[in-house]
Amino acid sequence: MDKPKTNKHLSRRDFIGFSAGAAGLAALAAMAMRSDDGLEENVTTINPDEIKTRETETDVLVIGGGMAGLFAAVKAHDAGANVMLVSKGALGASGQTPFAKGVFCFDAEKEGMTLDEYVAKVSYSALGTNNPVFTRQTAEHSAARVAELREWGFFDNVLCRKPFLHPVEERGIPVKERVTITHLIKENGRIAGAAGFGLDDETVWFYKAKTVILCTGAGGFKPNGFPICDLTHDGTIMAYEIGAKVTGKEWNDGHPGRSGNPAACFDGWGGSGGMFEQVPGTTGVGIRHDLGVDMNYSTYANGGPSEGGGMMGGPPGMMSGNAKGGPQRPAGLEDSGGPGGHPGGGGGGDGKRPSGPPPGGSGKGGRPEMAGGPPQDGQRMGPPPGVDGPPGGGKGGGPGGKGGPPGGGKGGKGGPPGMSGSPVGGSSAGMAIHKAEGLVPINPQCESTIPGLYAAGDALGSYMAGGIYTQIGSSLAGSAVQGAIAGEAAAAKSSELPAVSISAAKRKQVTGEILAPLKRSAGYGPRWVTQTLQGIMIPNFIIYIKKENLMRAALAYIEELRDHHMPQLRAADMHELRLAHETANMIVSAEMKLRASIERKESRCSHFRLDYPEMDDKNWRAWLNIYKGEDGSMQLEKQAFNTWPGGRPAKTA
Amino acid sequence: MPINNISGCIGCETCVQVCPTDVIRMDPKTKKAVIQYQADCQICHLCRMYCPVDAITITPDKSIPVVVSWG
Ligand SMILES: Cc1cc2nc3c(=O)[nH]c(=O)nc-3n(C[C@H](O)[C@H](O)[C@H](O)COP(=O)(O)OP(=O)(O)OC[C@H]3O[C@@H](n4cnc5c(N)ncnc54)[C@H](O)[C@@H]3O)c2cc1C
Ligand code: SF4
Ligand code: SF4
Repeated sequence: MDKPKTNKHLSRRDFIGFSAGAAGLAALAAMAMRSDDGLEENVTTINPDEIKTRETETDVLVIGGGMAGLFAAVKAHDAGANVMLVSKGALGASGQTPFAKGVFCFDAEKEGMTLDEYVAKVSYSALGTNNPVFTRQTAEHSAARVAELREWGFFDNVLCRKPFLHPVEERGIPVKERVTITHLIKENGRIAGAAGFGLDDETVWFYKAKTVILCTGAGGFKPNGFPICDLTHDGTIMAYEIGAKVTGKEWNDGHPGRSGNPAACFDGWGGSGGMFEQVPGTTGVGIRHDLGVDMNYSTYANGGPSEGGGMMGGPPGMMSGNAKGGPQRPAGLEDSGGPGGHPGGGGGGDGKRPSGPPPGGSGKGGRPEMAGGPPQDGQRMGPPPGVDGPPGGGKGGGPGGKGGPPGGGKGGKGGPPGMSGSPVGGSSAGMAIHKAEGLVPINPQCESTIPGLYAAGDALGSYMAGGIYTQIGSSLAGSAVQGAIAGEAAAAKSSELPAVSISAAKRKQVTGEILAPLKRSAGYGPRWVTQTLQGIMIPNFIIYIKKENLMRAALAYIEELRDHHMPQLRAADMHELRLAHETANMIVSAEMKLRASIERKESRCSHFRLDYPEMDDKNWRAWLNIYKGEDGSMQLEKQAFNTWPGGRPAKTA
Repeated sequence: MPINNISGCIGCETCVQVCPTDVIRMDPKTKKAVIQYQADCQICHLCRMYCPVDAITITPDKSIPVVVSWG
């Protein structure tokens, strides 16, 4: 491999001076990085001038290889279109899909409940934030998608790559893996394709397509404890860049981690024999109001994990109901023990489980959307908060403590080594509630505000569940259902359209933008910028317990990263090129999150404002959309609940 | 360390394919998997679960500092 450039190290002192000045709030996090992760000369290990550019063509381009992408590709193919699926990671082994095990399957007869009754219950829990059209659509089509998944072997395998490849190979659908899409391409006011780069072939790829379905999932700030470090809201940001409206940035997924090893995601979900090593199952109706900011608020209001419960109870207040003045919840939907209890845990207390597992063997007691694995087997899934502390509990194992040896907890079997200590927040920082963030749909067919561009699953702001988790397991089911619907709609649309082309000027511009971090002679390492951003955004008092003055302070830092660091990101190879683009997307996402959170001057579902703790039905029965203004600045607008853009009512009948 | 050891690799390349964060690459000379970008490992264990010969060892701690929302 070429080494075209030499390396002249900046002195350690220069670096320290720089990092402290540029990111006061985040200085601590940034200082802990290696100095050569910061501002440095770019010592590339590949020759950026040798990178090839290639073009290929299809009718329907599906971007993303999770549950939504799978169904989008299969259904578009079955509707007669030429389809190509391209994904940043492997089909069935990237995004969030590989880790989810419970699929909602609505059976009106078994439940003794009509679809309308189901929708009404979800809407009650969602405090108006759900779009009933999508809530109903997922329930209505869930059984059909589950039947297909069963046929492909999904429920017989711990790992889902094989069952996902089955229908795709059977149909001969071309799949391009390890290709990171960075740009959507619009020509003459409608979608014309997408572009990105391959990690392995070191090539810039242009995909001409009549329609594109974004199945790129959600994202976060590469947080610790949730397996979403490959997801940085890429789809949302690239669609925003070409003028699409996006929504839902003020909501928060409230999963906690554990202080012992906060990044130990596998261990946090039950470790060996835990959730990641189980075969998927189905869930029946089980409506909750969960995984918002309750635990973050309790910690904030009552101080750190010191008194009262201490290690045994996690932060005081967490186990003994909600602290006063915190997030509200609809009557009758009590908190199930902190935001979902421990990730993968039994919902934080057996006594509060909804009655027994539904037929089919899936427990309802886990996090709102998981199968629960072996029914009621809280031990294997990882003890709920408060049962896996060090022997003796009390204050002994404060944050950072390793906790007790496996088996040392109160719960008898205890937990694997990775999941000790008291709960810490932020394990999914940067992610909203599934299906609440993403592209704004203009109809039930998952079409976006850009002609020819569709989105499905976690990439679509469908508000299927609302601004908080309501129905157990509906996230996977929603991705499957929406993927299928978008696939069919995109295929039908493509059949009416002539071939598209991408102009030479556009190709040149996009290629330049894609390769820029590789071609920079010096710049900021993407890991350093990422950690700086994490230090700004992830603290409890910024992202979860929101107040105007601190969000404005954080916004000033994020704007600095946007204006100064984003244009100077460097990359030494294709891996870092991906990190650089991901980092840029996180910066734009952070700006969206802050602006939406500042704008929504009320508290509702998973959005909690300390300075506006009440729900404000007079002003805020509305979703908040974001789009790029003509001057390039970020614009916000309200869209009334239960309407489509433009004000048409979103009716279920 | 997160992913911290690969031993007994038979060079099938599966782990390279299935790692969501592109941590593992093939060594062009030995034709075996190597940990190339350890700092980006998200400790999800997909590589280990997919490896046909159980060659991969993973521990629960991260190789870079971790930011949490309170601590
Ligand atoms: C640990 C965990 C447990 C969960 N448990 C459950 C559960 O039990 N039940 C449930 O219903 N839900 C659960 N969920 C949520 C559920 O996994 C997701 O809602 C669902 O899988 C989303 O599917 P998707 O296809 O929309 O997106 P994802 O599965 O996230 O797929 C996104 C795809 O897009 C690709 N991609 C991203 N960016 C790009 C780019 N720039 N270029 C090309 N490709 C790109 C990715 O590689 C990936 O293939 C869980 C989530 C997690 C993390
Ligand atoms: S999956 Fe296992 S055997 Fe295959 S390349 Fe990776 S380490 Fe080697
Ligand atoms: S544990 Fe996950 S992120 Fe780490 S190397 Fe293995 S597959 Fe990649």
